[in-house]
Amino acid sequence: MGRSMEKVLIVDDDEELCELVSEYLTVEGFDVDSVNDGEEGLRHAREELHDLIILDVMMPKKNGFDVLRELRQTSTIPVVMLTARGEDMERIVGLEIGADDYLPKPFNPRELVARIRAVLRRIEKAGDDEDQAERLRSGELEMNTSARSAKMKGKDLGLTAVEYDILAELLRNAGQVVKKEDLSVRVLERELSPFDRSLDMHISNIRKKLGEHKGGKDRIKTIRSVGYIFTTEAN
Amino acid sequence: MTLFLKIFLWFWLAMATIVGVVFLVNWSTQSEPLARQWQTFVGEAMNVNSQTAVQIYENEGVEGLELYLKRLNGRQRINSVGLFDRQGNRIGGSLDVRETGDLFDRGFNSSEPQFHRLPDKTFAASTVNLSDGTKLLYMLELKRFQAPAFFTNRLLLQILAVVLTAGLVCYALASYLTSPIRKLGKATRDIAAGDLSVRVGPELSNRRDELAHLASDFDEMAERIESLIESEKRLTRDISHELRSPLARMKVALELLRGRSNGESDTLITRIDTESDRLNELISQILTLSKLETGSEEFSRSDLNLKSILESLIADADFEARARDRSVETVKIEGLRMIGNEQLVRQAFDNVLRNAVLYTEQGTRVEVSMEREGTEAVVTIEDHGPGVPEEEIDSLFKPFYRIGEARDRKSGGTGLGLAIAQRAVRSHNGSITARNTGNGLAVTIRLPVSEARSASPAVVTTA
Repeated sequence: MGRSMEKVLIVDDDEELCELVSEYLTVEGFDVDSVNDGEEGLRHAREELHDLIILDVMMPKKNGFDVLRELRQTSTIPVVMLTARGEDMERIVGLEIGADDYLPKPFNPRELVARIRAVLRRIEKAGDDEDQAERLRSGELEMNTSARSAKMKGKDLGLTAVEYDILAELLRNAGQVVKKEDLSVRVLERELSPFDRSLDMHISNIRKKLGEHKGGKDRIKTIRSVGYIFTTEAN
Repeated sequence: MTLFLKIFLWFWLAMATIVGVVFLVNWSTQSEPLARQWQTFVGEAMNVNSQTAVQIYENEGVEGLELYLKRLNGRQRINSVGLFDRQGNRIGGSLDVRETGDLFDRGFNSSEPQFHRLPDKTFAASTVNLSDGTKLLYMLELKRFQAPAFFTNRLLLQILAVVLTAGLVCYALASYLTSPIRKLGKATRDIAAGDLSVRVGPELSNRRDELAHLASDFDEMAERIESLIESEKRLTRDISHELRSPLARMKVALELLRGRSNGESDTLITRIDTESDRLNELISQILTLSKLETGSEEFSRSDLNLKSILESLIADADFEARARDRSVETVKIEGLRMIGNEQLVRQAFDNVLRNAVLYTEQGTRVEVSMEREGTEAVVTIEDHGPGVPEEEIDSLFKPFYRIGEARDRKSGGTGLGLAIAQRAVRSHNGSITARNTGNGLAVTIRLPVSEARSASPAVVTTA
């Protein structure tokens, strides 16, 4: 990475795990801080001293969802959630309230690093894209890749980084089906797995933020078991 | 027949029978005197009437007599009247003697009123003396004696009142006895359906009998079941967290170790990593099984395309099978849909499919088909393996059950796959069965289908 060491904040009540992950991430070249409860995590996160937060769901006092919900009111800082595996609901709730990605526990730290890098790369793209600034537009929706902004009728939609990338990908192919598999690889940088519903959740968040066409039709259509289409006003 | 109906009808029948018998006895002991009372009454009336008639006859002659007798007709159930002399001549009136039998002679020979009964009428006769001492016979034709109308109506009313009262009392009794049973039955069904908070005590709190005891025992039992299920739920949640935390730490520690090892220990590190993955998988499966068995979690349902689910699973399984010189092939797959939980249905198919791939002989193929039979999707997955001893076939779906000692853990399966498949299929009101085909094992899954909305696999929706 061409930049200075990226700062990561781990929020998990398991102190020993924090120590181990800190050690691993330090070896991988991150600057790591860790806190062991939700309240403190929220306080640190709000100081915006970090580039990314790793947030555990199951914590006493204030759980990860509550922390994320409060954090998202003021900040778009990237968040990767650690969830209990098999608890399908937890994964989905996390994405619904604006996590950038999630990883079920127990996880392979290599996988964690890959997710962190993918999320951070998305943010960095903002800087890199400046030369080849791309302006995407459909009806009243306007996206500017250099500023990574998405505006509807001139008003910013407040998309998270993942949501922005998914919408941009759909908009580039407006009117055509974008396969889930391709979307997963291009945006989430991983192969689509059968039970992975993160794309569906991100799409559902984007839909809420976009609103509907005048006729009450969704702007993004689901083609069941294939993918999604961004529909233009005309069709 | 319900207990309520039985108690109600039997008690009612018993009461009605008792009442009926009492009435019958009363009736049979009272009916003779009653008829005699009537005869006395008629006799007395006849005396008065006949003497009046004779007086009128003597004072006013035949015309007066006729007038008087005519006036009597129709009164007090009298059809007709006649006054006769000893020779049988009718002095006055309209009575016909042809049907009177020997009454004429009996009447003349007795000082008491005499009767002659016919099915539809009764003749009565009594003698009367003229002032000169000549004996005449006064005869009446009466409607057949019946209990007076007001009397029979009242009897009917009484019987009705008694039977109705008996009915009401029996109804109350039967419902008093059976309503707590019904409440207990409803509570039992509610509990069976998963609502463990049901209690019957409050509804029966004003009773102090065996049923009230039963109700409080029932409540105690429900309380206990509820707390057991609750603690089981808590336990599974805790297992999920407590067992996985050390696993999570272990995996991170292993990767750190890998980074520091000089390469000699890499295979062992990988081995430990694999085993911890298996342990984690086992925890997941135990959790899934426990959720399915306790019904502690609501699984969301949606419209599923069984064909596309099955085809994607077959493609994956085939890919893995080919690496081991086996294959998975589609025989015939119909386009069917159902309402269900995608994850559970997938898992059921996948577990059976993987089991088949595991046990089919090298170089053979696993055959998969899905057809519609009535309202069911019938999925058959057939391998060409050793099969299962007939007596153990029912145990195949038990958790951690392994057929014989020969079938070892060669694949690292957890021994829960088929058990989970069975529970998952059952939670969708389906069934799963296994049978030996002679050259392998065939597992059949039946699931209720929903009507296909479209034959095309891709349905455009804005879900």
